[in-house]
Amino acid sequence: MEATLKSDLHAKDTHAPAKSAIFWRPTAQTGLISWLTTVDHKKIGFLYGVFALFFFLVGGVEALLIRLQLMYPNGTVLTAQQYNTMFTMHGTTMIFLAVMPLSAAFFNFIMPLQIGARDVAFPRLNAFSLWTFVAGAIIVNLGWFMHDGAPDGGWVGYSPLTSKSYTPDHSIDMWVMGLQLLGVASIAASLNFIVTIINLRAPGMTMMRLPVFTWMTLITAFLIVLSFPFITIALVELMMDRLFGTNFFEVSNGGMPILWQHLFWVFGHPEVYILILPAMGIVSEILPTFSRKPLFGYPIVVFSGASIGFLGFSVWSHHMFTTGMGTMATAAFSLATMAIAVPTGVKIFNWIGTLWGGHISMRTPMMFALGFVWMFMIGGFSGVMHSAAPADAQQQDSYFVIAHFHYVLIGGSLFALLAGIHYWFPLMFGRKVSEFWGKLSFWVIFAGFNITFFPMHFLGLNGMPRRTFTYDANLGWNAANFIATIGALILGVGIFIYFAVMVYTFLKGEKVAKDVWDARTLEWSLPNPPPEYNYRVIPTVHARDAYWYNKQHKEEIAQEEAEHAKAEAAHGGIHMPHQSIYPFVASLGLLIAAVGIAVVDHDPSPGFWGKKIGLSMIGGVVMLAGIYFWALEGNEGYHLHLDDEGHAPADKNAAKH
Amino acid sequence: MRLSSLLTSTARWGRAGFALGALALLSGCDYNFWRMDGHQSTITVAGPVARSQLEVFYVTCWVTLVIFILVGGVLAYASLKFRAKTEAEEKAVPPEQGHGNPLIELGLIGASVLALVIIAIPTLKGIWYTYDVPEERKADTYEITATGYQWWFKFEYPSEQIAGTGALTTGNELVIPAGRPVRVNVRAIDVIHSFWVPKLAGKVDMIPNRGNFLWLQADEPGYFWGQCAEYCGDSHAVMRFRVIALSPKDFADWVAQQTSPARNVTPKPGESPKAQFASLRTFKQNETGITDKYDIAPLEAWKAKQFPEKGENTALVAQGKALFAAKTCVSCHEIRGHGAAGISGPNLTHIGARSTLAAGLIENNTEQLQRWIHDPGAVKPGNKMAKGYLDNNIKLTPEDEVALVAYLQSLK
Repeated sequence: MEATLKSDLHAKDTHAPAKSAIFWRPTAQTGLISWLTTVDHKKIGFLYGVFALFFFLVGGVEALLIRLQLMYPNGTVLTAQQYNTMFTMHGTTMIFLAVMPLSAAFFNFIMPLQIGARDVAFPRLNAFSLWTFVAGAIIVNLGWFMHDGAPDGGWVGYSPLTSKSYTPDHSIDMWVMGLQLLGVASIAASLNFIVTIINLRAPGMTMMRLPVFTWMTLITAFLIVLSFPFITIALVELMMDRLFGTNFFEVSNGGMPILWQHLFWVFGHPEVYILILPAMGIVSEILPTFSRKPLFGYPIVVFSGASIGFLGFSVWSHHMFTTGMGTMATAAFSLATMAIAVPTGVKIFNWIGTLWGGHISMRTPMMFALGFVWMFMIGGFSGVMHSAAPADAQQQDSYFVIAHFHYVLIGGSLFALLAGIHYWFPLMFGRKVSEFWGKLSFWVIFAGFNITFFPMHFLGLNGMPRRTFTYDANLGWNAANFIATIGALILGVGIFIYFAVMVYTFLKGEKVAKDVWDARTLEWSLPNPPPEYNYRVIPTVHARDAYWYNKQHKEEIAQEEAEHAKAEAAHGGIHMPHQSIYPFVASLGLLIAAVGIAVVDHDPSPGFWGKKIGLSMIGGVVMLAGIYFWALEGNEGYHLHLDDEGHAPADKNAAKH
Repeated sequence: MRLSSLLTSTARWGRAGFALGALALLSGCDYNFWRMDGHQSTITVAGPVARSQLEVFYVTCWVTLVIFILVGGVLAYASLKFRAKTEAEEKAVPPEQGHGNPLIELGLIGASVLALVIIAIPTLKGIWYTYDVPEERKADTYEITATGYQWWFKFEYPSEQIAGTGALTTGNELVIPAGRPVRVNVRAIDVIHSFWVPKLAGKVDMIPNRGNFLWLQADEPGYFWGQCAEYCGDSHAVMRFRVIALSPKDFADWVAQQTSPARNVTPKPGESPKAQFASLRTFKQNETGITDKYDIAPLEAWKAKQFPEKGENTALVAQGKALFAAKTCVSCHEIRGHGAAGISGPNLTHIGARSTLAAGLIENNTEQLQRWIHDPGAVKPGNKMAKGYLDNNIKLTPEDEVALVAYLQSLK
């Protein structure tokens, strides 16, 4: 009975007057239009993944150029300015355009399936998040094709270097507007995920039965919603300084550069956990599946995730130990940072506890997940070293920091995301990557990663500052830099193998039956790839590791499902949201407006207001039009009636009430 | 079959790589980067502040190493011991579906907290110790103001006042008395920089509109490498400096020399201006400007720079002095006593007595000095002097350059 909750909610829609006569209802299932108008969380997740991987490769090329420049002392591969652009764009790209959207791809694709929902709470808002993310990514990268060049203020964009006095060209404006749009996209998506997880859980899916990945999605979404406003404020202030001559950061007028750092890191530190918590969630799914045991200490893993989220807001100034905060503040942030090591350590203990006594099958996803635990542990330890403020005074802004955060971001986040791709690939596409190629790519990536970043600890302790385009041969940095570059090339080869194999598998890989890993969570009860409507019958959850329980109680579950199917059919079938172009239109408007603000020349002649304001206004009108049409077209949706084999009728309109 | 042939070829390539690596090691390449004893090492320290920071670092190292061995050991053991070796084992009846053990969890949480306390105590001590000069040594403290510019450092000595001009001012080479605490007040004029001399003390940021400071002490006389540690624009990587610690007597001599006006070279009658060195060669982008001779004994090299060079061409120096005014160098640089009073560039009153140029980037010799004034933008991308050449249409002939070099080198 509870299973029909969702249909009940929407039942009234079927009696509402049809608005389709006025508004275009795209129904294309294939082709460009279908992708631009899709509201299916799986398609949106797929697109997030594709864009993220594209930018991941772009960021990777930037990284390789950086390493080539530093391979030998006094390198000449890049000029100073090109190098500064590379590391700025590498950081910005990897964080905002690769790791975050790749996490978002999993949030979108997997989370609704894990909680037994048919889509996210606001499908069109989801599409809007995707396209706004794409708009932001375009603007951040626009500089590559322009005279002013791409941004070169560092990914932290410290004022006053980014103010008009020291970077007069448009590169920083593009960075500012790009990040603003990415923030809009992230906040919109996160609100969507929060509402989805709280409201659309299948009957019986209590909070303490949520799969850990979904829990981490929820915590990450809260972190995004609470932390992005800070960078939004900082970026607005910077934009006001740059466009209208306000005085937030302009030193010559009494501005306070340190204000930027506080605002940036109040966002920036939770951001670190935004990057790592989804990864922890993925690993907390993979380890139990391949150990064939439930997660050890589920409640503690969940609570430690939440406490990492809370504490993550109280440690931002450990990025600023060298800014002269005084003894008391330094001590407080030092201790708070150490405290965060406790819940983090707890997670590692519990992952080991999960392995203990299990039947571990060393499949590719498991290899990446175990690689994650090892590498994240090393990154965590160097993190503890940073928390000791006196030691950090030597490590801050040196290659030691570079080593640390690449261990948590590549060895941590990225390994887990690569594990997740391998793990859920059979579910997403019905094909499985060959074990040989998967493991080969793992070992090459693992070796390349460590050869690149382990020597950087020594480089940092030996006094090499980060963000430097050249160094002299007499400082003792030659060998470590050379080895790091060789490692980076190996890492590049590993990543290439990984993706080449992934593309091959997508097209021609071995087809597999459902639930190929004998997994534990609900998404694996679906056929692969999952149908548009996900669940033919909304499942009822009886235990944590719901699908594992279902597999142990096949008969009762089958009976229960048959009853629920009947009840749902009586309520009008499977209710589905309509496709819509308007979220895309709204994002397009944002793109145009942001281009107007960021790129159109700041020309003091009267023409300037005409041009700059003009393009921004056009963008604003397009965006408002998109939003209004989106609101007015309504969310009536349609119903699917499946035949006995589970096939939906070919013509959607015929199915409409 | 394809698979196995690939495996063999992988193995072959692996062997080839291994052989190449071994060859590289044997051929005498210096691969022992773990020694960490470079000029900017934070491990081979030379003063109490850096030592205190290093001690805290070692505590964190040992504690985390022990935890790593314990936790890593258990992780490795569990991964190997409970691994399903065959497909049959994988498909066997699943193990007991246990959900965890609260007692183990609590115990481990307690142990983690304990380990952090071990780190926290020296951390707190270190924070207070490294923050400011200890009370009992305050009276003995020497005070200096360091100001960051894009991309060089200005050093002012408030206790060495010069009548009519104010505090003694130098650039890019900070000379301090050894064995005494030195309190460095750090300031910035344009963007954020960071003052870092790894062997003496951890960094403190130089932030505009903010009065930061740090303290450091060199135990013995010595020559130390420093570098800006906060990204500050195009030439951040080449914004370096030196700290030279001298014995009390040497320091007093140095102060006496520095507080006197610029050295005057009287032209010898009948001497004609003639360059005494080869014409400028072309330099590669980012080419190093440091010789081994200097690098092996930098303090001696610095000391040698304190005395006038033998056989200066006095006529050339006089010509250079005139050019320094004629080419408007004076509007940015100060040469006390020679009528040059610009303040936006480094003070050059005793430039000839410095061991490095262009913010610690290149050695101070005739060749490198000419390289610098010939095309400052090529040495240090985006710097003000290059822009100044363009804005003021300053063009130097090779003869001009040679004369200017001779003049600047004479300023001991």
